[in-house]
Amino acid sequence: MATVEFVEATRVYPGADRPAVDAFELQIADGEFLVLVGPSGCGKSTALRMIAGLEPVDAGRIRIGERDVTDLPPKNRDIAMVFQNYALYPHLSVAGNLGFALKAAGVAKEERTRRIRATAALLDLEPYLDRKPRMLSGGQRQRVAMGRAIVREPQVFLMDEPLSNLDAKLRVSTRTQIASLQRRLGVTTAYVTHDQVEAMTMGDRVAVLREGQLCQVDTPLALYERPETVFVAGFIGSPAMNLIEAPLEDGCARFGETVIPLSRAAARAAADEGATAVTVGFRPEALELRGDGEGFAITVDLVEELGADAYLYGTAVAPAVSGRIDATPTVTVVARLAPKGVPRRGEKVRLRIRDDAFHVFSTKTGRRLPD
Amino acid sequence: MTATPPTRCASLPVSGRRSRRRGHAATGWLYASPTALFVLLLFVLPLFLVLRMSGSDWPLLAGNQGINVPDNFHEAVSHRFFRDSVVFTVKYTVLTTVILLALSLGLAVLVQESTRWKGLLRTSFLVPSALGLASASLLFYVLYSPLAGPFADLMRSWGFTFLGTPEGALWSTIFLIVWRYAGFYMLLMLVGLQSIPDEVYEAARIDGASRWQTFVGITLPLLRPTLTLTTVLCVTGSLLAFDQFYILTKGGPDNSTITIVQLIYNVAFQGQNDLGVAAALSVITLLALVIINIAQIRAFSRRADD
Repeated sequence: MATVEFVEATRVYPGADRPAVDAFELQIADGEFLVLVGPSGCGKSTALRMIAGLEPVDAGRIRIGERDVTDLPPKNRDIAMVFQNYALYPHLSVAGNLGFALKAAGVAKEERTRRIRATAALLDLEPYLDRKPRMLSGGQRQRVAMGRAIVREPQVFLMDEPLSNLDAKLRVSTRTQIASLQRRLGVTTAYVTHDQVEAMTMGDRVAVLREGQLCQVDTPLALYERPETVFVAGFIGSPAMNLIEAPLEDGCARFGETVIPLSRAAARAAADEGATAVTVGFRPEALELRGDGEGFAITVDLVEELGADAYLYGTAVAPAVSGRIDATPTVTVVARLAPKGVPRRGEKVRLRIRDDAFHVFSTKTGRRLPD
Repeated sequence: MTATPPTRCASLPVSGRRSRRRGHAATGWLYASPTALFVLLLFVLPLFLVLRMSGSDWPLLAGNQGINVPDNFHEAVSHRFFRDSVVFTVKYTVLTTVILLALSLGLAVLVQESTRWKGLLRTSFLVPSALGLASASLLFYVLYSPLAGPFADLMRSWGFTFLGTPEGALWSTIFLIVWRYAGFYMLLMLVGLQSIPDEVYEAARIDGASRWQTFVGITLPLLRPTLTLTTVLCVTGSLLAFDQFYILTKGGPDNSTITIVQLIYNVAFQGQNDLGVAAALSVITLLALVIINIAQIRAFSRRADD
């Protein structure tokens, strides 16, 4: 087992004007399951491929355990990787796929057979050992790809969106299997996904990336409860957090009848920036229906009733912020409500933000203002 | 009474549909007819003509003199050059196929991997393919010439000529063919190589396979369809070799480089002028080719199932 460490690691693709991965500083602890998550093109796969040695490091270092592996080829890094399209060897049977790395490493035949059998048993692949990949279902192929990594008993697992080719139902069950398997084996794992639900459910910690930079690395719950930037706030959580630009008045942000008191530190920080407005964020579940004179008014556009919850999508008149030019600014607001007595489409209702269930960000920098 | 109208109604669309289907078929045949005519006139008819010739006494100038089965075949296999030409053609085919395919695969790997000189290398390997085989042969005829060629002085001082000995003539011709076709086969190999996904190679790198292990364990097996195609093409082409030998050696020296097609040509048009025997030789060659190609394709696909 080992730790993985990015030290100012940078990758610039030839001809690109900005780095795909920009001076990463990140430590993955021994045995930890770290998820790299972000939108397409944020550099998460590149970062993973830098650990693998498939992508050169233009500046900085990569360390696995005590070793600096920056200039080592993949085979000397003691890592195993699961690819998005599995990259199974199409001409080899399942057993051949599992045993390829062992054969390349010169492991003796009996030992090879033993380890292939053990891995196949772990992943319920025993009946398929003689089959070619094309004769397997998507889920079975995915397990072979996992098995190919597991059979080598590496120090680090690298997984590049391994569930994205599975159907929704299988994805959910495989998600739990991978997470529990990783905990059982205790192998340090870096896992790339663009799906924030996967990130939240699987990772010990989650690293959120954007445009080649690390936004925030924290436990799933901490990311959810205390996002450090507007981007993380909007990216983590489904439906996304409501983010509204609200004018500052006497140390408070004002949105309809709602007055959001900023902490002293936040107010000072906003004042230091010379800001006249801040971005206020509140999750759908932080909203509740209220009567006249409270909160803010919305017109209901759509109601999604899911049984346990109902999601209300509505439009509110955006607070007037000086310097903005759109004529009748509106904002979309999502609220999670109890399924009983949900307003219907076209109704006008009032919503209130629960006390302390809001986040305040600098509109200028997108960073969270101090509490 | 009540039952009649529906039956009548039902029968009408059926006949309509049937006639419409017949119309479709006629249109289909109409579309296919130019190609069908082309194939019939230029491929099927000549094949039957050759089959008929092979069973008839048919001198070049006198025309068909009536059926004489199986005299032509008997005469063909007992021709004094039949054995030699078969042995020589097979030897030439094996050498050419092995050298050409190995070299073109090597070139394909080279131009696929090197990034800097890729364009220049690909183009320079492909340039000879732009030349017709006959033109290329004439070019080499001059290059190899002990009288007018650029190596004439060299050959004189070493007491050696390219086309003067049986071995020299064979290897000089193979050199010409490899030069002329390496680029073309490289292109086919390149298409095959590029159909192998990068991810599979990355997986092999992660799995710790060396370059050689990757080549033998990944590239060659996944290149099998391409190798089948190129082998069949190369073997068929080499078994039917004619132009290069006709221009460079005319079967010489000492009748050592007579290929089967050269023999057919000689029997038909050079001296013996016997179309019947030549046709019999052609039929034998055709059968051999069919058998060899079936065997090759079977061999390649059987290994794919293992």
